[in-house]
Amino acid sequence: MATVKLTNVVKIYDNNVTAVHDFNLDIADKEFVVFVGPSGCGKSTTLRMIAGLEEISGGTVEIDGEVVNDLQPKDRHIAMVFQNYALYPHMTVYDNMAFPLRIKKMPEDEIYERVTHAAEILGITDYLMRKPRALSGGQRQRVAIGRAMVRDSKVFLMDEPLSNLDAKLRNQMRAEIILLRQRLDTTFIYVTHDQTEAMTLGDRIVIMKDGYIMQVGSPEEVFDRPGNLFVAEFIGAPKMNTIKAKLVRGDGEYHVAACGAVLKVGGEKGQMLRDRNVPTQDIILGVRPEHMVLAAEDDANAIDCTLEVNEMMGSEYHLHVNTADGNKLIVRIPTITLSPAQRESLVPGARLNVTCEGKVMHFFDTESEVNILYPCQAPIK
Amino acid sequence: MSKKNDYDPSEIQKRMGMKAKNRISNTVIYVVLVIMSIVWLIPFFCIVFQSFRVESTWMAGYVFPQKWGFDNYINLAKTDFWKWYTNTFIIAVVVAALQTVIVLCMSYTLSRFRFKIRKGLMKFMLVLGLFPGMLTMIILYRVLKDLGMTQANAVPGLILVYIASSGMGYYVSKGFFDTVPKTLDEAARIDGATRAQVLWKIILPMAKPIVIYTILTAFMGPWGDFVFARYISMNTSAGMNVAVGLQSWLSLDQINNRYTMFCAGGVVVAIPVTILFLCLQKYYVEGVTGGAVKG
Repeated sequence: MATVKLTNVVKIYDNNVTAVHDFNLDIADKEFVVFVGPSGCGKSTTLRMIAGLEEISGGTVEIDGEVVNDLQPKDRHIAMVFQNYALYPHMTVYDNMAFPLRIKKMPEDEIYERVTHAAEILGITDYLMRKPRALSGGQRQRVAIGRAMVRDSKVFLMDEPLSNLDAKLRNQMRAEIILLRQRLDTTFIYVTHDQTEAMTLGDRIVIMKDGYIMQVGSPEEVFDRPGNLFVAEFIGAPKMNTIKAKLVRGDGEYHVAACGAVLKVGGEKGQMLRDRNVPTQDIILGVRPEHMVLAAEDDANAIDCTLEVNEMMGSEYHLHVNTADGNKLIVRIPTITLSPAQRESLVPGARLNVTCEGKVMHFFDTESEVNILYPCQAPIK
Repeated sequence: MSKKNDYDPSEIQKRMGMKAKNRISNTVIYVVLVIMSIVWLIPFFCIVFQSFRVESTWMAGYVFPQKWGFDNYINLAKTDFWKWYTNTFIIAVVVAALQTVIVLCMSYTLSRFRFKIRKGLMKFMLVLGLFPGMLTMIILYRVLKDLGMTQANAVPGLILVYIASSGMGYYVSKGFFDTVPKTLDEAARIDGATRAQVLWKIILPMAKPIVIYTILTAFMGPWGDFVFARYISMNTSAGMNVAVGLQSWLSLDQINNRYTMFCAGGVVVAIPVTILFLCLQKYYVEGVTGGAVKG
């Protein structure tokens, strides 16, 4: 249980590649923070610097108020779970979990107590005497988590712990990590490239790209108020539709001209634009697929499209449509809102009218790609 | 489809043809192997038979003794043989122990640590290893002579020579260590282990075959060495190893009295090595091929 503070942390590799630029983050005690981003964004490097597995090129890392830059991993009181489990293949599950305690020269009966207790929580009691190679992927990852659990570590680090598991198991383990977190009640730092994991696990999400922090915020914040186009497209699946458009200030009302249609920006977003007195300008309009709706055929304020691909997902349809001016959009429609006649009409080539309300629109600057209403502080290349 | 093929006469014929072909090639391979092993074993059996010959001591023109006995073995005790044997044993054991430690530490370092001269050092040692060791003989003799480690004191001198360059034999074990995922080291270090504990508790138990291989090669080198040992002991019986000592029995003035004893000595020399190999053979093969996967 501890706070973690990163101040101006920089990582420059020997070949002069800068992997992490000026990373600043305060992690509160017992907080669950997720680093998320595409591969090569520096999220793992940052985690490894906190763990002490990578040298810190600049800035400071503090754990519980103590600067740990020059401490060996063993002296940082952290536990870590690796993507490839990193179980010691020549030891049984019990010995694997007992290893950190034996290094600390803990008495054997206390080790026994701790290991069996952790094994019980993780449901691996039956496998304690097996070697790791006789376990499935999910069981191995449980052992790895168990090995990290038995110690009283200040911070729990996880480096893509679910990436090696198949999709079904991943969902199951994700739920178990949420339970584990409630049980352990310690500080967690979790690295993933999967935005679903980030959204479901994190108290706060740190979205990274090319070594820069793009945005830090709660799952709601980064989803509802993405600071820039990158965050907007990264969070959410399928990804947000983006259209080159024009924001037009009329008398007292804002409109967006996109794909040959004019969409009214009403409600809260319209009010915010008015309050900030945003001038008429070219923008990138962002609308999430689930926020687009089918409009009536005679709706003048709708975008005219042709259906290209129709993906029936069960509970919803993913409609890939082309607009007249060549934009490709995805529209997510809950199955339950469609009549059987409507469903049958959704064949490739069908004409559709789609539209969206003002409150679900996101406006990004064409140059800086920053959200016009919720600009993020992060430096953007 | 496949079921239909089972009953298809042409398919069955084809399969039988394959089987016959396999059988022929297997037979050829086994015949060749048997002939090769006989050729290899003939000298060995000759020596064993000769060592039990008691009716004469010189080189006889036949293989099977007319009278069998252990005289040659018993007579070994009346010579310097056991002195040489002890010398060799001490050298081989000390060298095996020290060289193994040095090689494993060296390999782990080169496999896991990244330091500035790492690549340069590896290339340098590779090039250095291309020169025959014999080139250094004269200078080594001078150095050892100045240190008083020649002739009767050849044992410590030889130990020094054998272990001096042992760090250069890191290739095979480094190749093996490279195949052990680095995250295991990292996990262990986070679990509280020091670098030395990582090596002893995590890497070495996994690298058992390579440790055995290293011990075996380190033991075998000095056990069978002749050239250096002869050069440094310089005809002084007290400093000879067993190979040099036995060879001295083959000189023109001794061979007629000592030939059968020479054979008995040869058999005794082969015993510990044979036992070692029989016990550790499994690991030896694993070690050689295990390291070769990613050498």
